[in-house]
Amino acid sequence: MTYYALLFIAGFAGSFHCIGMCGGFACALGGDPRGAGATSVRHALYNTGRLTTYCFVGGLAGGLGQAIYASLGAKSQLGVPVLSESLGAGQRGLAVVAGLLMIIMALQFFGFRGLRRVTTGFGGSTLVLSLRSLLSRHGHAAPLAFGVLNGFLPCPLVYAMVAQAASTVDVLSGCLTMAAFGLGTFPTMLAMGGLGRLLAPRWRQRGVRLAGSFILALGLVTLGRGVVPMAAGHNLHHSLHHIWHFA
Amino acid sequence: MTAPPETLCRHCLLPVGRRGFARTVNGESCQFCCYGCCIAHQVKSGSGDASEAAWFLVRLGVGSFLSMNIMLFSLLVYSGAFTGADRRVLPTIHLLLWGLATPAVLILGEPFVRETWSQVRRGRLSSSALIVLGTLAAYTYSTLAVFRLGGHLYFDTASMVLMLFTLGRYLEAAGRARASRDLAPLLAAESESATVVEGAEEHRRPVREVRAGMLIRVKPGERIPVDGLIVEGRSHTDDSVINGESRQSAKAVGGSVLAGSINLDGPLLIRSSGSGDESRWAQICRSVRDALRQSSRTQRIADRVGGAFVPVVLALAGMTLAYWAQRLPLDQAMLVALSVLVVACPCAVGLAAPMAHSLGIGQLARHGCLVRSPGALEALALTRLIAFDKTGTLTTGWPHLVDLASDGVGGDEVLARLAGLERHSEHGLARAIAFAARARGLVPIATDDVRIVPGRGLRGVVHGELVAAGSATLMRDLGWQLPPALVERADVMATSGHSVVLIGWSEKACVGRARAALSFDDTPLPEARATIDALRGLGLRVMLLTGDNAGAAARVAATVGVDDWQAGLLPQAKRIALDQCRPRHGAVAMVGDGLNDGPGLAWADVGIAVGSATDLARETADLVLPPGGLWLLPWVVGRARAVRSTILTNLAWAFGYNLVALTCAVLGLLQPILAAAVMAGSSLLVVLNSLRLERLPEPCYPGVAALPAASQPECELSPGEQGRSTTLGLGRSWSPALHADRSVGNALTR
Repeated sequence: MTYYALLFIAGFAGSFHCIGMCGGFACALGGDPRGAGATSVRHALYNTGRLTTYCFVGGLAGGLGQAIYASLGAKSQLGVPVLSESLGAGQRGLAVVAGLLMIIMALQFFGFRGLRRVTTGFGGSTLVLSLRSLLSRHGHAAPLAFGVLNGFLPCPLVYAMVAQAASTVDVLSGCLTMAAFGLGTFPTMLAMGGLGRLLAPRWRQRGVRLAGSFILALGLVTLGRGVVPMAAGHNLHHSLHHIWHFA
Repeated sequence: MTAPPETLCRHCLLPVGRRGFARTVNGESCQFCCYGCCIAHQVKSGSGDASEAAWFLVRLGVGSFLSMNIMLFSLLVYSGAFTGADRRVLPTIHLLLWGLATPAVLILGEPFVRETWSQVRRGRLSSSALIVLGTLAAYTYSTLAVFRLGGHLYFDTASMVLMLFTLGRYLEAAGRARASRDLAPLLAAESESATVVEGAEEHRRPVREVRAGMLIRVKPGERIPVDGLIVEGRSHTDDSVINGESRQSAKAVGGSVLAGSINLDGPLLIRSSGSGDESRWAQICRSVRDALRQSSRTQRIADRVGGAFVPVVLALAGMTLAYWAQRLPLDQAMLVALSVLVVACPCAVGLAAPMAHSLGIGQLARHGCLVRSPGALEALALTRLIAFDKTGTLTTGWPHLVDLASDGVGGDEVLARLAGLERHSEHGLARAIAFAARARGLVPIATDDVRIVPGRGLRGVVHGELVAAGSATLMRDLGWQLPPALVERADVMATSGHSVVLIGWSEKACVGRARAALSFDDTPLPEARATIDALRGLGLRVMLLTGDNAGAAARVAATVGVDDWQAGLLPQAKRIALDQCRPRHGAVAMVGDGLNDGPGLAWADVGIAVGSATDLARETADLVLPPGGLWLLPWVVGRARAVRSTILTNLAWAFGYNLVALTCAVLGLLQPILAAAVMAGSSLLVVLNSLRLERLPEPCYPGVAALPAASQPECELSPGEQGRSTTLGLGRSWSPALHADRSVGNALTR
């Protein structure tokens, strides 16, 4: 449970980063003329759509991790990986990859732009522009659809979490990982929709730093999980060998 | 045919072809080549209230929402989350999956069903029929399984296959649209509108309604819609669409601007100098559109094979089902057949050539090189021999005075009389004479009653005395005396490869005599040698075919580094010379100025005109380089080869991939969802492979970064001429006169 709480907090901290792009969407989604209830439904649908995408991607990543893991001939370990004591070699390899990815993403929050092109890549701007046209539509389908597509927009935070989900080596855990993260972004996003205004840029900057720090910490923990031998019988040499093997 | 074959897809600008269909977007009827382009166009053109675009996104979003949930639950079922104690929730989960899958299949499958239906009504099977059949089978089977409580469910397969194909087509269309980005400004000429200033009012009007003399306002950043002269304002323009040069040129009041140029930094008011659809830009636009509408042989073969594929695949899927049904449970056999249907969708095959063509044509056009058909591009790639015309192609086409031999008169008098006479001529040499006279500060002597003696020269009257200039034959025809010393000098001049003009006049009512011989030289272009070397570096044989005399041919050939030349060829002889080369070298290309060697250009496998003065629509050459664009030729050949090899790798990839994947599917080694992903991946790979063409190097002027003024000798003339020299085609308009000049030279040699 601690693990998912950690991810929830990561989502919450990270959501200050979301204010930039997705927060703007939430604001633009605006209110429903039929009253507060309808407005709440609108925003709930939007966030449900987003969450669905996250869960799907998380489950897929977990399943992929599982498949890779299974193909290596090791036995899958269900459950909560971050605090578990003994890890298999395959899971270690995935943890190392996920940890490194998260650290790279986190550094980006502090202004290192190595992956900027990847995250804002293929045709994004056209899609984003046309997605905006969905925001003004009434009815329940549009906000849901918008949320679903929004979930696929390039975002380093989501990539980092997907890497984390893959390292859980299980469909359900991967799905729950992303669910916990997605739920973590709910408070801010709902607040953005409700408040209907953006935070001051200074605060946004702080939020991004906070998010970066948190992802960095999480990345280091994940990396450490793969590198530092926790279980008996695993010395550093072995671990390095595994990293070499799977990274 | 779904649509007339010449229609281009609204989104990716490729020919619509067999898969094409029409759809109304934003109240406008549009032709698309595929569903993906329709989607992408709607997404792209979607502004705030464009309900059509938004509707598609809603469809995709909700469809994804449903199929992602289906996939998620299915994954959980597969991974064993509902085993043991949780087993009793399984029927509920199945019902839930059915509830999710039904709308998902309806929402995502509808466009495919519609496409299939419209093709079936025309008596054809399209590739979407394969998808529809496959997913419907999976859905129906699973629905039966839910309600009869038995068997495996394949709702995830049905919905994910549909979603992946929708997504694959969207991405493919987005990639293709990117490929045609270079083409967009070239095709914009017809749809462009201009801000016409009428008194105090300004109206936006379509370019085709603009007439000569209208005032047009062009804001910074806008494309100049018509050719014209600047009335007000000062700016820089980027003319790369028209002449391929990517440098900026400064423009001020009185300067001319070309349609298609981009006004960079200052507002301009221009007076249109011609109607909007006559500008070179509009001509280029029509030419490029025509080129895109044609398909090459490779493409036609690929299309035919792709078209024949669908029924074959249906039969194969049927046989696969029949075979596996005897060895496996029916649902698994059906899954194998479904994989076959999905994986055989020959989307990438139809994409292999047109995309590479449009990329190639677009990039060439962006540098001012126009291709008349994709086939020409492929033929150029196969060419092993390039024949050049001399005058105006390897040489400047701008003769200048090199020698003057006189008999008993001063050089200045000769030039002053000659300049006076030639002032009335459009002859190519007239310009050289005027220039030489002006350089010496001479005033041309007023000449009356000037007449042209066709093929011989000119005659006129000065103070009642006859004066004539031209060939020796002209002098003889007049019954004038030719001093032997002068004839000897003229012969020497001619044999060294120069054009020779004799001038004579009568004095004091006596019979006149030839008094001087002048020789003119047509200098080889500074970039000619580097260009020839570069072509040779590409493994091409180079030869020179000219109608000029052997001396001139030998001199130019030596200067530019061609060892193989034939001189004194009439147009008919050039055709024979080309025919003689064919057996040894295969396809041959001929480079000329598009005027004197039209028959040769038309006869060669690839005719290349450098700077065409004629209307582009009447141009016989397959490829037109911009004026002064000889140096682009090696780059163009490189491009053509790159396009051809891209098409071949695309086809090899598409067919090879389909074949391998199909084999795997028939053997039951490929899951349908994986098969769908594999097919989307195949199309994307073809798109990406074609987009690699974008990354090839830009053309680079040999030895120099920018185009030097030296290659434009007309700049040396006068400020007035300089202003005009920026107008396209003007330079070459002197060529016909030059042609007549050759006959003068030839007459003298004989």
